[in-house]
Amino acid sequence: MLQIQENIQLVPEAGLSEYEINAEGPVEITFDAYARSDIFVRIRNAAEIRITGNVHEYAEVTVLYWNESGTEVVFDENYDVQENAVLKIAYGEVFQGNTRRNSSVLLNGRQAQATVSSAVLTQAEKTFQLNVESCVPDTIGLMNNYSVVLNGGKYRMDATGVIRKGAHRSESHQTSRSLCFDPKMNSQIIPKLIIDDNDVKASHAASVGRVDEEQLYYMQSRGLTEQQCTALISTGYLMPIVNTIENDELKEKLREELEGKIAELCSM
Amino acid sequence: MNNLKIENLHVSVEDKEILKGVDLCVNAGEIHALMGPNGNGKSTLLAAIMGHPKYKVTEGTIYYNDQDVLSMTVDERSRAGLFLAMQYPQEIPGVTNSDFLRAAMNARREKPVSLFTFIKAMEKTIADLEMKEDLAHRFLNEGFSGGEKKRNEIVQMEMLKPTLSMLDEVDSGLDVDAIRIVGNAINKLRDETNMSIIVVSHYQRFLELVRPQYTHVLVDGRIVMEGDGELAGKIDSEGYDWIYKELNIQPAAKEEARKQAVSLGACAVNRSLGREG
Repeated sequence: MLQIQENIQLVPEAGLSEYEINAEGPVEITFDAYARSDIFVRIRNAAEIRITGNVHEYAEVTVLYWNESGTEVVFDENYDVQENAVLKIAYGEVFQGNTRRNSSVLLNGRQAQATVSSAVLTQAEKTFQLNVESCVPDTIGLMNNYSVVLNGGKYRMDATGVIRKGAHRSESHQTSRSLCFDPKMNSQIIPKLIIDDNDVKASHAASVGRVDEEQLYYMQSRGLTEQQCTALISTGYLMPIVNTIENDELKEKLREELEGKIAELCSM
Repeated sequence: MNNLKIENLHVSVEDKEILKGVDLCVNAGEIHALMGPNGNGKSTLLAAIMGHPKYKVTEGTIYYNDQDVLSMTVDERSRAGLFLAMQYPQEIPGVTNSDFLRAAMNARREKPVSLFTFIKAMEKTIADLEMKEDLAHRFLNEGFSGGEKKRNEIVQMEMLKPTLSMLDEVDSGLDVDAIRIVGNAINKLRDETNMSIIVVSHYQRFLELVRPQYTHVLVDGRIVMEGDGELAGKIDSEGYDWIYKELNIQPAAKEEARKQAVSLGACAVNRSLGREG
């Protein structure tokens, strides 16, 4: 695992690359991807992280950012996806430092595709501003955001899909769901589609709500306490983020971490 | 031990009284059929025993093994040995059957069940109920057919081994073969564990398999007639009308429907004649 403590330029190789960010001050990371790569970035400590990602023609890149910082981190991310390239970004946010993330993906080449996913389990403040923009024809931009907001948590997801004029036959779809276990919890989803072309496919779905009373009753009627139900439902909500990375060993490790975190937070 | 004792139970849903004083006693190993026309309180009684939050007990007591059931939470009731196979099982997306069942089994054990033991038990139960092998990995009831949901209730019952099972129309939505499979699974578990059963069913085919020793007829929130297993058979062949006549009573649903029909009809006639209501 490569330690990142200061500004760095990366060219990820084919296969899995693992990085750990542990920086005192602001850090800038630029990567140029040409191959089929899985990138795992563990954030231990950093106040401000700036990322520029260039996904070149025919590259297929998956990046999972696993934020373990206990203090606030501000992310500013910009991605450029070229012709026939595929970018998948996943954000795992289950630790209790505040996060402010501004992330923008530009689909700049024909047949470019991007999927941005996030899984958030929080008692802290997590703010996302995501933007996936089709700039040229025949591109696909997707967003899937799932969050579980626990007592004291504050969540805001501002998700915008854009299809520019002339980006014919492009698609923009997004789903954002937030689960709260207490009516006093603060969760906000703002789904937006800005479409400036006529020949497109676009959709959005968003929900913020508590667990259905009937579902809770059903699970409790099999002997599970409310806390255990909360943990099981949260696991179902958030676990898919782990599957974005193909490496089995890493997947298993993250699964254990996520389960541990859910068990810890849901029993409080 | 393992006896359920209900006295003078009154239950309301959204301020409407559904049960109006029910007494029932079920001893260990006994099988009781609960019969009655739709909308007269059978499901309400079972849901109130299990502790559904919408069903408010306004009067009366429920004791199971001398424990005050009404002071227990839903999950405590389950861990005390009560099980309700529901008429409309919920779908829980994102939670697999195996994770759910393992958590439910562990909830009633001091030491967690080992993965190996759990998988073996799950495989056996799935085979007993003749369900598809991928059941364990599917999300709880999500996308299941009506029949699959009902069989999955029995899978849960077999895995959790309750001491008192309440089966709320668990046979509805099942085809002839599935009724036999489910009936056999229930009987097998009963032979193994001596669990008690309260069964609600409209189908004699199912009751013949489960063989209740006692029958209770619930009409308009009260048990109006009790008898042995034969009574269920008589109701299947003759219906409820003879009971209404014999006892000079009316079922709740019919009374309601008649009231509505009269008021609607009167209004419609008045309106058509241009009269004020």
